[in-house]
Amino acid sequence: MVRAVPAWLRGLAWAFVVLAGLFLLGPLAVVVGVSVSENQFIAFPPEGFTLRWYEKALGTREYVEAFWLSLRLAVVVTVTATLIGGAAAIALSRGRQAGAMETVFLSPLLIPTIIFAIGMLMLWSSTFGPTSFATLWLAHTVVTLPYVIRTTLAVLAEADPFLEEAARTMGAGRLRCLWHVVLPQCRPGLIAGAFFAFNISFDEAVLSLFLRSPGHNTLPVQIYGQLEFSPDPTVAAVSTLMILLTIALIMILDRLLGLNRFAKA
Amino acid sequence: MTARRETLLLFAPGLALLALGFLLPILRMLMLSVVGPDGITAVHFARFFQDSYYPSILWRTVRLSLIITVLTAAIGFPLAYIMSRVGLRLRLWLVVMVILPLMTSVVVRTFGWMVLLGRSGPIASTLRDHGLVGRGFSLMHTETAIVLGMVQVLLPFMVLTLLGSLARLDPRLEEAARTMGCSFLQSFRHVVLPLSLPGLVAGSLLVFTLSASSFVTPSLLGGARIEVLAASIYKSVTQTLDWNFAAAQAVILFAGVALVLIPYLRLTARHG
Repeated sequence: MVRAVPAWLRGLAWAFVVLAGLFLLGPLAVVVGVSVSENQFIAFPPEGFTLRWYEKALGTREYVEAFWLSLRLAVVVTVTATLIGGAAAIALSRGRQAGAMETVFLSPLLIPTIIFAIGMLMLWSSTFGPTSFATLWLAHTVVTLPYVIRTTLAVLAEADPFLEEAARTMGAGRLRCLWHVVLPQCRPGLIAGAFFAFNISFDEAVLSLFLRSPGHNTLPVQIYGQLEFSPDPTVAAVSTLMILLTIALIMILDRLLGLNRFAKA
Repeated sequence: MTARRETLLLFAPGLALLALGFLLPILRMLMLSVVGPDGITAVHFARFFQDSYYPSILWRTVRLSLIITVLTAAIGFPLAYIMSRVGLRLRLWLVVMVILPLMTSVVVRTFGWMVLLGRSGPIASTLRDHGLVGRGFSLMHTETAIVLGMVQVLLPFMVLTLLGSLARLDPRLEEAARTMGCSFLQSFRHVVLPLSLPGLVAGSLLVFTLSASSFVTPSLLGGARIEVLAASIYKSVTQTLDWNFAAAQAVILFAGVALVLIPYLRLTARHG
């Protein structure tokens, strides 16, 4: 198909792709640049090379505590969202009136996070008092659930429904069938969903900002606070570590499932 | 155990989570927006519209979101089209190019823009070196900064939505148009564009709602003076501690978003 495209247009297309790439990745590259610059102030292009800011970031209690909080939160959110979302997706894939139910389950994607965030804050404060780790856990699980459901449903849509029927006629009970037939079929979807859930929870800033309690700042909230008041190259070092984590996640996802899946879709 | 009961059991935890963690919070917010010291009242909404301050924030939010949506579509459409027409290997790299920023925290991406647009950033210093602007020039805390940052943040959503509809488009249709004597641009205009219109509209509606409700990027790049609706809600919640008013503003945002979401849902339901 590309061959039928005039040469001048192909050249233009290449230039466009390069510019779009610069636009999309430039801001990330700039952060990495600042994090290794010897300049005391935030400036670009960087001067020299140093790992001093990383040392300083790893020695700053606020960042380290925020990192552990974000990690703990992302892990429990991933586990709960994958379990609950996986179960819901299996039920959705069988349902006859799945359309309406699917909209219900995907609705957290449609309602802006900020609206849900203040609702959550108001409900929690009036029923349980001050917000805590549990508030963040609940809120993050709600927003990550649709991702697990979507990826699992996509895999189940391609699965062979007769496999389950075959297992049943061969005498497997419902639970055995679920465990030995349905669950293995869901696996790629569950893995992809878990990755997205982890990534979203770890990076999420809006819910965490509204629902934060003293001493409970996640890493993005900690970075946000620094950026609002006095950004220094240490924030760039922490941000770079977050970018590296994203790259690592994408690479692991590619290893486990192959990104081809997403490129084809 | 019957099939029905099994399905219900599988649904139960998800439904309970959504009821407790999603439906109730939203109901609570709706309720707070209409209660006052003596029962039900519309005073919080009236306050929003009593002078031009808050309506101007609302108007800025809508105006910026429109600009951001148009720019995102203008960049996203050609990018998605190119992605749908290149080989699988190159497409994979381009998907990574789009997904990597998408999966990076918005806070980090906004930081990148703060560096790029700031006083000691490359844009300001290049302009200064050529004598085009004065010493204190910086793009930070301008509407331009918000637009630039937001287009980068939301471009992946547009590209991925469009890629879905463009990849399903049968390339033979284009080939047919070409063999019948259409030029590339003619076939693009008469075949590709009309067939991918639902995807373009769906992507635009999605970008518009995300843009209208975004908080982190506009607050950091726009600063305290250039306020958008989401930032004003945050201020009411955390600084003035007027939660009823915050809820009323959120309902206004919610209503605006719902107006845009209904056509979005119709479109995506029809086209998958």
